[in-house]
Amino acid sequence: MDKFEKAFNDIIEKDLKVEPRDWMPEKYRKTLIRQVSQHAHSEIIGMQPEGNWLLRAPSLRSKQVLLAKIQDEAGHGLYLYSVAETLGITRQEMNAQLHSGKAKYSSIFNYPTLTWADMGAVGWLVDGAAIVNQVSLQRTSYGPYSRGMVRICKEESFHQRQGYEIMVQMAFGTPEQKEMAQDALNRFWEPALMMFGPHDADSAHSSQSMAWKIKRESNDHLRQRFIDRTVPQAEFLGLTVPDVNIKLNKETGHYDHSPFNWDEFWNVVNGNGPCNQERLDHHKKAHHDNTWVREAAAAFAAKTETIVA
Amino acid sequence: MDLTIQNNEAKFLIRLADTSLILGQRLAEMCSNGPFLEEDIALSNISLDLFGRAEEMYKIICEIEGNGYTPDDLVFRRNEREYFNIKLVEQPNEDFAWVIARQFLHDIYSQEVYKQLLNSDNSEVVGLAQKVLKEIRYSYIHSKDWIERLGLGTEESNARMQKAIDHLLKYVEEIFAFDELDKTYLSDTDGVTTVWNNDVNATLAACNLQRKEIMPLTMRDYRDGFHSEHIGHLLSIMQYLPRAYPDAKW
Repeated sequence: MDKFEKAFNDIIEKDLKVEPRDWMPEKYRKTLIRQVSQHAHSEIIGMQPEGNWLLRAPSLRSKQVLLAKIQDEAGHGLYLYSVAETLGITRQEMNAQLHSGKAKYSSIFNYPTLTWADMGAVGWLVDGAAIVNQVSLQRTSYGPYSRGMVRICKEESFHQRQGYEIMVQMAFGTPEQKEMAQDALNRFWEPALMMFGPHDADSAHSSQSMAWKIKRESNDHLRQRFIDRTVPQAEFLGLTVPDVNIKLNKETGHYDHSPFNWDEFWNVVNGNGPCNQERLDHHKKAHHDNTWVREAAAAFAAKTETIVA
Repeated sequence: MDLTIQNNEAKFLIRLADTSLILGQRLAEMCSNGPFLEEDIALSNISLDLFGRAEEMYKIICEIEGNGYTPDDLVFRRNEREYFNIKLVEQPNEDFAWVIARQFLHDIYSQEVYKQLLNSDNSEVVGLAQKVLKEIRYSYIHSKDWIERLGLGTEESNARMQKAIDHLLKYVEEIFAFDELDKTYLSDTDGVTTVWNNDVNATLAACNLQRKEIMPLTMRDYRDGFHSEHIGHLLSIMQYLPRAYPDAKW
């Protein structure tokens, strides 16, 4: 072990932060680039299912809140791309990896948003699950990622409240609204739980990431925390969690649940979800249709650039 | 629900409110469709400013009218002919050049209008105008910068910008056909025309863009609720939920 590796190990052991200028194992760097870019892509692709209802938001207030929220997601993507850039990859490279399918994003965004209640369910469940994960990541060992998470978590908790507010309006609204709310919960419950990733035993990257403190808590542990927090919220709304086996286990103090449909999970991860193709096509189209804009900006900058001797 | 506006000041203000709302909706269409992330965020910002501006203006209108209607009623329950936005802002996002050209032509006009509203007798209008002018300043700098980049960038960007300008200019003529209401609530309508023409002519000339002669068009006036074909589609999307579920609260 040379002195650089020893210094790195010391940082990890003492719970300090690894900074961009520090030496780090190549695999640590690669793991982070994979995770952070995946996280960034998720924020960006996640703009689409919500954008699907932006133009149809039913009040001036909900329209502005939703637009502000989607804009926040774009901002989160921007911070996270910047974090990844400190590890030695460019935004163009990450974009190319997204388009080629090499880089993934969270599968939850491959589900369609079919009614306005889905704007509630996405904020409440999807952002809710993301917060549980991201709060944990505030303690991640890579400094820029950790600091990015602190900022992102503040905004995400506003997002979750925005979602829950819509759920309250819908669940206590007309019978049709309540039906939409239940339908949204039915469709998003299991996909939201799967956002935490495979069971610990089946998670390819988990153990090394835990050792390096990139990841601080296991998938199953975080998922259980989310379930325990969310079931009472569903009860308050008078909605039924779509799992007959959801029950508070008095001994463990946690909610028991049915096994998940992992075939569907892997199927969606591997590209066969309801909207995988649409989400990527949308992103590619926006990028390619606007190539001329970026070229014009670059050409203009080149013409007007001040030459520094 | 009869949402006909009775008061003259409200009739004048709703033109501005509707113009902000419709342009905000058009810009919201750009969300996740921008040329790159930073620009996507910028367009959302401008859209949010426009929605906020519209909402505040509708509140003032509702107060003047005093008939118990809310801004949401005005937004979601009026038909095409009851909308009074300038036709320019309902034109579609054909490409990024259209988005920018439309914004620029709007911003110069809007900036001068709100400047003149600083002299309004209505203190709420004055307060709103003060806030709005800060926002428009930003939007104006943004759109003008892009006119410059696209006009002087590449051959393709110049051609696209020229095409957008050529098309959109025909919807501008009506803005300057001021009626008695405009003349009552704006301090200098001729000034709006002059400021607009001077800025557009100077900017286009500096950016290698032409201002083509527009033959007089037979087009009915936005002040009477006349539109291009685009408005109906925009409203049918925007108003879908409150129209489909009239008893629901959102």
